[in-house]
Amino acid sequence: MVYVRKDAGTLTAAERRRFVKALLEVKRRGEYDEFVRMHLAYFSSDGERGLRTAHMAPSFLPWHRRFLLDLETALRRIDPSVTLPYWDWTRDRTAASTPWTADFLGGDGRRSDRQVMTGPFAYRQGDWTIEVGVTDGGFLTRDLGRRGDPLDLPTASDLERALRDPVYDVAPWDSTVTRGFRNKLEGWGTGRGGAAWRNHNRVHRWVGGAMLGAASVNDPVFWLHHAFVDLQWYRWQRRHGGARYLPARPPGPRDGQHRRVVARHENLPPWDVTPDELEDVGRIYRYA
Amino acid sequence: MVVPMGQAPRGAGDAAPRPAPPGPANRTRRDVARGLRAGALAGVLAPVLTAFRSPRPGPAEADPPGGTAPAFEQTYRGRRLRGVWTPGRTPAEDGRWHVTVDGRPLHLMRRADGGWLSTVDHYCSYRTPLEAARAAVDALGPGEQLRDAAPAPKDTGHAHGEGRHGVRA
Repeated sequence: MVYVRKDAGTLTAAERRRFVKALLEVKRRGEYDEFVRMHLAYFSSDGERGLRTAHMAPSFLPWHRRFLLDLETALRRIDPSVTLPYWDWTRDRTAASTPWTADFLGGDGRRSDRQVMTGPFAYRQGDWTIEVGVTDGGFLTRDLGRRGDPLDLPTASDLERALRDPVYDVAPWDSTVTRGFRNKLEGWGTGRGGAAWRNHNRVHRWVGGAMLGAASVNDPVFWLHHAFVDLQWYRWQRRHGGARYLPARPPGPRDGQHRRVVARHENLPPWDVTPDELEDVGRIYRYA
Repeated sequence: MVVPMGQAPRGAGDAAPRPAPPGPANRTRRDVARGLRAGALAGVLAPVLTAFRSPRPGPAEADPPGGTAPAFEQTYRGRRLRGVWTPGRTPAEDGRWHVTVDGRPLHLMRRADGGWLSTVDHYCSYRTPLEAARAAVDALGPGEQLRDAAPAPKDTGHAHGEGRHGVRA
């Protein structure tokens, strides 16, 4: 039975409530922190050795697709009516819009210590203590729009520049490539300042606090952000006639990327699944 | 992106300054003054640049023995930053950075373009470990400290092989 992922801005009050309740239950059971740990564990950088799967790599998209499916499965075990909503940050662009309301993900962090004080994920509610974090605060932090040095969310035309590229990814398949849909969406730029963050990366920066760090999964907006990123992959495939994941074959032994990226039919750790098998999930869910 | 030799990492001090609390601000100025008096600033930068020229220095060009002398040590916005570069013992072994903020380890990762990112500010990179450490301080809230035993990719090892000990350069 194919289920539907909806735009967070279109959820009913009951849908918002059920999503939040399921998330809190996943957290209460200790499952949520395993997702935080896993994301931390799989962030390897391209200036170092070893296989990259989750970031700075072509498998950025299938890795997160599968990661989202795992959380969604955990949520749906608790409440089968729940699906992951997505946050369209090209449209809901302010600290007052979706999803930052008190009945959903709560608002910005307060000025003094950036602690989120509103909504179900506020520390004082007692249901959302940060257990696996980079810093010592047990509370969720945000700095929406970065007060000290404001920047904007990516725009529809920023996204369009990524979607327009007909090639999925190009060698050397890392954070330095300037062509290819994958990195234009993932958003590793060159240089400093505002131009250095695009699309996906820029949204992490805009939310700030926990979302800026390696333990970004601690902010539930992580899932809504990545659901929207995941939707872009689907849109890109449709626009480019079912264009495929690249590389189709593993880089050879003389290639600097040998055994450092996952090719189309190779296993995508930590799962027993290939990017090829994750390219079409139309039998599992669709986007509304 | 590699910082050219002989050129100080521009921007190391150009992060948007925010009003610092009175105590630490005073300390900052004092420490900076002390560093300048000792003529230490050039010495602070030199090893960083060396590290960039030679991410994996061979024994002949390795940093002076006793590589535990800090490559940088300064107070920034009331936070104590310290970075120690330890060269690899053999040409095949990577050197590594040990960077701390207020004495607590800040995990750094290297990007393919030569830049550095930290676990605090993880979705963009900076030209030097010092810049990455300053950016991490910028991203920390007032009073927010790194976890002493912060979880880091290197600690989890699985799926990466290669024994990820410490921060590589």
